[in-house]
Amino acid sequence: MVKTATPATGGSELKLIPGNELPTRIDAWWWLVGAVALIIILLMVFKPDPYRNIVFFVRDGLLTTLLLTVISFVFILIVGIIGGLGRIAKNPAIHFVATMYVEIFRGIPLLVQLIWWYFAAPMVIRSFGNLIDFPPLANYQSNAFVLAVVGLVICYGAYVSEIFRAGIESIPRGQIEAARSQGMTYLQAMRYVILPQALRVVMPPVGNEFIMLIKDTSLVSAVAMADLTRRGREYMSAHFNPIETWTMVALLYLVMTLFFTRLISWLEKRRNLEK
Amino acid sequence: MAEAIIKIENVHKYFGQVHALDDVSLEIYKGEVVVILGPSGSGKSTLLRCINHLEVYNTGKITVDGIILKSAQNINLVRQEVGMVFQQFNLFPHLTVLDNVTLAQRVVRKRKPEEAEAIALNLLTKVGIEEKSQAYPLQLSGGQQQRVAIARALAMNPKIMLFDEPTSALDPEMIKEVLDVMLALAKEGMTMVVVSHEMGFARAAASRVIFMDEGRIVEQGQPDQLFDAPKEERTKIFLSKVLQI
Repeated sequence: MVKTATPATGGSELKLIPGNELPTRIDAWWWLVGAVALIIILLMVFKPDPYRNIVFFVRDGLLTTLLLTVISFVFILIVGIIGGLGRIAKNPAIHFVATMYVEIFRGIPLLVQLIWWYFAAPMVIRSFGNLIDFPPLANYQSNAFVLAVVGLVICYGAYVSEIFRAGIESIPRGQIEAARSQGMTYLQAMRYVILPQALRVVMPPVGNEFIMLIKDTSLVSAVAMADLTRRGREYMSAHFNPIETWTMVALLYLVMTLFFTRLISWLEKRRNLEK
Repeated sequence: MAEAIIKIENVHKYFGQVHALDDVSLEIYKGEVVVILGPSGSGKSTLLRCINHLEVYNTGKITVDGIILKSAQNINLVRQEVGMVFQQFNLFPHLTVLDNVTLAQRVVRKRKPEEAEAIALNLLTKVGIEEKSQAYPLQLSGGQQQRVAIARALAMNPKIMLFDEPTSALDPEMIKEVLDVMLALAKEGMTMVVVSHEMGFARAAASRVIFMDEGRIVEQGQPDQLFDAPKEERTKIFLSKVLQI
């Protein structure tokens, strides 16, 4: 055998050029999303009873889970930015309020918070309405979806506040000095100079919170919300097939979290490329 | 040279126990180029930063262009008239060179985007960097970044320019391109306060050189007089060390 350099090795070496590597790596894990989706579809096609029935039964729960996640997340970001700014505020009153908020709501289990908002908060609101003699509050009718969003936003807002605080603090002091030295107000400097840079820094940990949120919305099934978990439980109690039902529910959560994980890392990479 | 454009009266500044500025009084007139030098920790940067209130002084009074620095509103008014260039450039890394120069014009001066851009391109041409207007700061060399920073400060049409060790973070071969821009600015009659050890620049452009040590103004005079015939012993020791290099 004569050892010669074959064109094949030349070809494989080309793939190792750093610039060529990146685009393939961005998409490398999409196959996992596809594989899980394929398993779900195959189960539905080849074993429609019970899998197709389960998916059809829980589909409105799936929609509720997604809506709850997305709507909550929008408000979580707003609360997170305000909370993060409050945590770094020089004004001692604002700093105190923001710190108390974060410390208190990080320290109570999310499930307990959701139960409190659903069962206790409406009663508190009604008795407060009676106290100040204000009928709209006294006759407050609880809305499970709104209260679930409130519970998720307040709890996750505390975590995300801390992420934003760290992100803002990671931007060098000279940036705000340069902005302020040109006559920008504190809020202008934050809006145009600090926050755009901080958002880039916090994107990975905030994206992680989004994935956590998808999974944690399953806790609202304990407070009369017909989300994916709740609908799964309803199907199971009607048909007594825990293995098939919970396997399918688990697969549906998995395909969502895998999909959004890919989406977030794609967004991150795109932002990094823009730089 | 009637009324001083910057008037510093008996200013004291403490960082905890450290007496950073010890009863400093100084008047700077329109069109003057004042170079401040002194060993590190002598309070020269602190004094500069007090002029646009990036540092808050404890007692005394600073008047800039007739405005006494006190309330928050005043500070933003003063800062619009005072441009500042930093040792570390402090360009905004998420914005292009052009946007760096237009941002404060649009947000603070409320200029229209087209107007701000025209002014920015004009200034970038002046500092010799117009072809990089679409680049991002981190794609530029240190000298180029500092020239953009000067253009960014000039875009606000300041009456006074403050330079805080503008060449200290630069590679030697890039110092000249920045000093050339500063020299041109001085020739145009801009009022400048420069913290720097660049003797060449001081001799060529300064109307006055101030030597500071331990928070006090030790000596001041015209550059040739201060460099060649310093009166104070402390100044002589400092200059002998600096000039040896």
